[in-house]
Amino acid sequence: MGNITLGRYIPLDSPIHKMDPRAKIMGMLLMLVAIFFPAGWIGYAILFAAAACAIILAKLSPTFIWKAMKPMLYMLVFLLVINTFFLKTGTPLFTIGSFTMYSDAIFQTLYIAVRLLLMVMITTTLTATTKPLDMTLGIEDLLKPFGKIGVPYHEIAMLISIALRFIPDLIDETQRIIKAQESRGVDLKEGKFTERVMAILSLIVPLFVSAFQRAEDLANAMEARGYAPGEERTRYKVLKMEGRDYILLIVCAALLAGMIWLSMRS
Amino acid sequence: MPIRFEHVSHTYSAGTPYEYKALKDVNLEIEEGKITAVIGMTGSGKSTLVQHLNALLLPEEGKIEILDRTITAGEKPKNLKSLRGDVGLVFQFPEYQLFEETVIKDVAFGPKNFGVPESEAVERAKKALAMVGLEPDKFERSPLELSGGQKRRVAIAGILAMDPKVLVLDEPTAGLDPLGTVSMMSLFSKLNREMHKTILIVTHDMEQVFKYCDRVVVVENGSIRAHMSVAHFFSDSSFCKEMNILPPSLIRMKDLLREAGFEIDDRIHDIDGLASSVARQVKQHG
Ligand SMILES: Nc1ncnc2c1ncn2[C@@H]1O[C@H](COP(=O)(O)OP(=O)(O)OP(=O)(O)O)[C@@H](O)[C@H]1O
Ligand SMILES: [Mg+2]
Repeated sequence: MGNITLGRYIPLDSPIHKMDPRAKIMGMLLMLVAIFFPAGWIGYAILFAAAACAIILAKLSPTFIWKAMKPMLYMLVFLLVINTFFLKTGTPLFTIGSFTMYSDAIFQTLYIAVRLLLMVMITTTLTATTKPLDMTLGIEDLLKPFGKIGVPYHEIAMLISIALRFIPDLIDETQRIIKAQESRGVDLKEGKFTERVMAILSLIVPLFVSAFQRAEDLANAMEARGYAPGEERTRYKVLKMEGRDYILLIVCAALLAGMIWLSMRS
Repeated sequence: MPIRFEHVSHTYSAGTPYEYKALKDVNLEIEEGKITAVIGMTGSGKSTLVQHLNALLLPEEGKIEILDRTITAGEKPKNLKSLRGDVGLVFQFPEYQLFEETVIKDVAFGPKNFGVPESEAVERAKKALAMVGLEPDKFERSPLELSGGQKRRVAIAGILAMDPKVLVLDEPTAGLDPLGTVSMMSLFSKLNREMHKTILIVTHDMEQVFKYCDRVVVVENGSIRAHMSVAHFFSDSSFCKEMNILPPSLIRMKDLLREAGFEIDDRIHDIDGLASSVARQVKQHG
């Protein structure tokens, strides 16, 4: 289990770290939309190259991305199994008994795997290079125009930032509880079905208890310091878009346009 | 057979920017049948050290010998479950591990995992709860309704009910009331004396080390700074000064009396002995 990296901020000194969070969030959204266009392998190769460039610029190590990707592998294996049973198109590859494997099963899974990898690369780059606090400010600013139609943008931003803030804590907490229960003989990997259920229960209950406890503590701490949602408040940090932020946006927009063009052509 | 650490090191989050070397080349031999205190500043690596004892953390380098088993770096430990049954580890803040509907069920959870039949597990749970001093009227309550100190007792009972040969306690009395602390420490001392359990206690409380422990291990910055008998460690305050530790009040008292010109024997280790020695000298010079 150890060392889950998903959603964790990595304090490094890189041009991506210095960028305006609004530009990074917008850039990420553009890229995520781009991924969903069926632009074919060439398109994905281009997106992959772009995402890889961002990761290199951000000074993140490939193992870091790999670790974030790892939990998804189980899902992909599951998907491959489902696909082999239900996707019977394309060319038959081989037959075992009455069961035939078709090429589309492999291609479909690979297709989703590539998209998933791209998504993980892009979102991880954002969360790893943006402090949770900056993320909130960025989200809040981006949502502000929707305030006129009654969107509680400040609350949404606060919600997201608290969630992001607590992911690593909850992961640490989970690992601590796993250790504590393993000390009491809980075996998460083996055992009969009823034992497994008990094992899972012995993790989930304390995790919920501590999550609620944390939520309550945080709420009290915020209230004690005078936090009231909806109140007008000043900012300690003022965001400012610079040249590199505009470049990022232009590049991302260009990529999206490229993907749209590629998918229309095919 | 003693518990032996040979060139053990451990790195957290290896290969990430959060990488942290928490143990560095630890060599240590812990005698069986004794109470050993593990002391050191916050973040020095005490919890990391003791979590190696039941293979919750595995050494990155080196090896650990414990109860006829060897845990070697880079190898998957064998018979993990039986090791965890023999080495009971009570975590720092163990109250967060409670999950069952009732206190008694939660305490019986450990022994049941190690194959003790239900009825015997419940018996053991009752005994363990009595040992830690929880009132019987709370046995059927939900553990989540208890106070922090009561939860702590239940969590400790949960490990005691497993009847381990080696008992490892990570700050078991942090946050308990003074009386609760004394009764808890007396319990560990009794388990050691009467049932010959090997006990390791991580603590910040020098009074506890002085009063209840036989040996002391000082961890500093991931390394073992000192390992000696408690009597030797507290024979005067020089070791404490060297390691930036506030000595127990009796030792400080002895220092003050020495400064004031009294002859104080190093072997005096309780307040009564000290008082009578002082009284004698006062009378003599009276
Ligand atoms: N899961 C972890 N990931 C990364 N670093 C860790 C982790 N757990 C502990 N550390 C680091 O390892 C060092 C030793 O931690 P450890 O918990 O062993 O200290 P300790 O001596 O028990 O301290 P305390 O007296 O506060 O309990 C600390 O500097 C801590 O920041
Ligand atoms: Mg600790």
